[in-house]
Amino acid sequence: MVNVLLRLFVVLGLALPAFAAEEPVITVRKGDRVSLTVAPLGGSSGAAVTKVLQKDLDLAGWFDVVDAARASYTVSGTAGGGSLQGKVTDGGGGVVLSKTYSGGDREAAHQFADDIVETLTGNKGIATTKIAFVGTASGSKEIYFADYDGNNSRRLTSDRSISVAPSLGPGARNLAYTGYHEGYPDVYIIDVASGARQRVVKAPGTNSGAAISPDGGKMALTMSKDGNPEIYVTGLRGGMARRLTRTRGVESSPTWSPDGGQLIYSSDNGGSPQLYRIGAGGGGGSLISTGFGYCADPSWSSDGKKVAFTVRSGGGFSVAVMDLAGGGAKVVASGQNPVWGRSSRHLIFSSGSNLILLDVPTGRTTTIVSGLGKVSEPAWSL
Amino acid sequence: MKKSIVFAAGLCVVLLAASCKTKPKDEYAGIDGDYVSGVPLPDRADGSSYLGGNVSKGQFQPVQFGFDSFEVSGAEMGKVQAVADFMRSGKGDVIIAGFTDDRGTEEYNRGLGERRALAVREALIGKGISAGRVQTVSFGEEMPVDSGGGEAAWAANRRAEFGVIR
Repeated sequence: MVNVLLRLFVVLGLALPAFAAEEPVITVRKGDRVSLTVAPLGGSSGAAVTKVLQKDLDLAGWFDVVDAARASYTVSGTAGGGSLQGKVTDGGGGVVLSKTYSGGDREAAHQFADDIVETLTGNKGIATTKIAFVGTASGSKEIYFADYDGNNSRRLTSDRSISVAPSLGPGARNLAYTGYHEGYPDVYIIDVASGARQRVVKAPGTNSGAAISPDGGKMALTMSKDGNPEIYVTGLRGGMARRLTRTRGVESSPTWSPDGGQLIYSSDNGGSPQLYRIGAGGGGGSLISTGFGYCADPSWSSDGKKVAFTVRSGGGFSVAVMDLAGGGAKVVASGQNPVWGRSSRHLIFSSGSNLILLDVPTGRTTTIVSGLGKVSEPAWSL
Repeated sequence: MKKSIVFAAGLCVVLLAASCKTKPKDEYAGIDGDYVSGVPLPDRADGSSYLGGNVSKGQFQPVQFGFDSFEVSGAEMGKVQAVADFMRSGKGDVIIAGFTDDRGTEEYNRGLGERRALAVREALIGKGISAGRVQTVSFGEEMPVDSGGGEAAWAANRRAEFGVIR
């Protein structure tokens, strides 16, 4: 049964992101995966870049990386001296992509990989994206920052306090998180490039769980200054807090729709935490029926069609995905805090001391972070 | 002259009525009957926080809670009364810190801990303590008093503690 559901999802998951709303719906099946081969790149950095490229194209999910004889496309190029010349040709030798990238080997390879994804599938790649998460390796909860595959990880905070709930702005240029540096949970924003940090929300009570909007201009978060934990929307400097919810219960973990017009959040106003949807300008929250008794930490996919969230059952946590157009929610993995990548097919979630990358249509998992203590609350840039 | 004043006044009334009519709908319109009675928190006291050195902890017993609940039970009300009696004597203002067990997700637990602290605050206000004297903070599932698993540990961790600002 689970297998049948998974297979159904493979078909849906592949079909959904590939086409804009106006275009006719074409069912893409698993067999329609694009086959390609990576010819070892030349140049002094060729080997290093080839390795990164192969991994990126494999994790991308859209491709069958095969030997040259069976491939529809061939990836080739030359890398060295801070420059990567990449090329993709089709079976007839026609050039479908040719571009030069500068920068470090790894960064250039990621850019080339995302261009290949976009050229051959029309979808956004995840290879150039960044993640942030909470790790405890230093003895306290601190914020870490890394490439999507866990490489280049570094600790952003060193407060020896409690630093949690990161959210990345578009392009990972900035990061919002909840810090207890001053003894109260407040929202801080870090400019990733410079490391400059500002405490932007420090209202009385608890300020937490900020989610930066897709356009990078606003934050949605939980604040309790008016006497109850509710969802508010503020500017990135914390001003103009506008209250969206009014209940007797606990509202938390807002996530933005791709157009920034709506939010999904969790509320226990009906007894146990459930998901609700609300307009970013106000109005009432409407219940999203998932069929699960405990639903928290929603993440809205950037194609707008799905929500991933944590469910609690039998003392453990699972990651569930629901089609917002009316599909039932399905458990896809064991773990918690799922967050969508901009491909709308990958999730990153936490499981004990690991962060796991899950390709939802195929069910394939890859451990991307380990060895940093207990890791939790991943965020993923668009 | 008098007539024109009356006219002006009349015009004002008409304009006011019109402005009432055209006033945009309340931004929370459509959710009448929802909870609106939370008592806003006072500004934070300068330089004092629950983790700071100028707050004495452990002076009062923590209020305990049921699983995933923020209701202050009748059995716990005596603890709130003890704090109310202390505060009524005019001594220190308090910070209530809310905590949870670890059987929820981190961010939801931060909200739940805050809700517990606010529920205890409401109980204090109900006993006549001025709202301006009571702050709240949530630590969610951080800083458990019992880091073992099991029902007894979970129950001990579901609590609201009182810190007295010196």
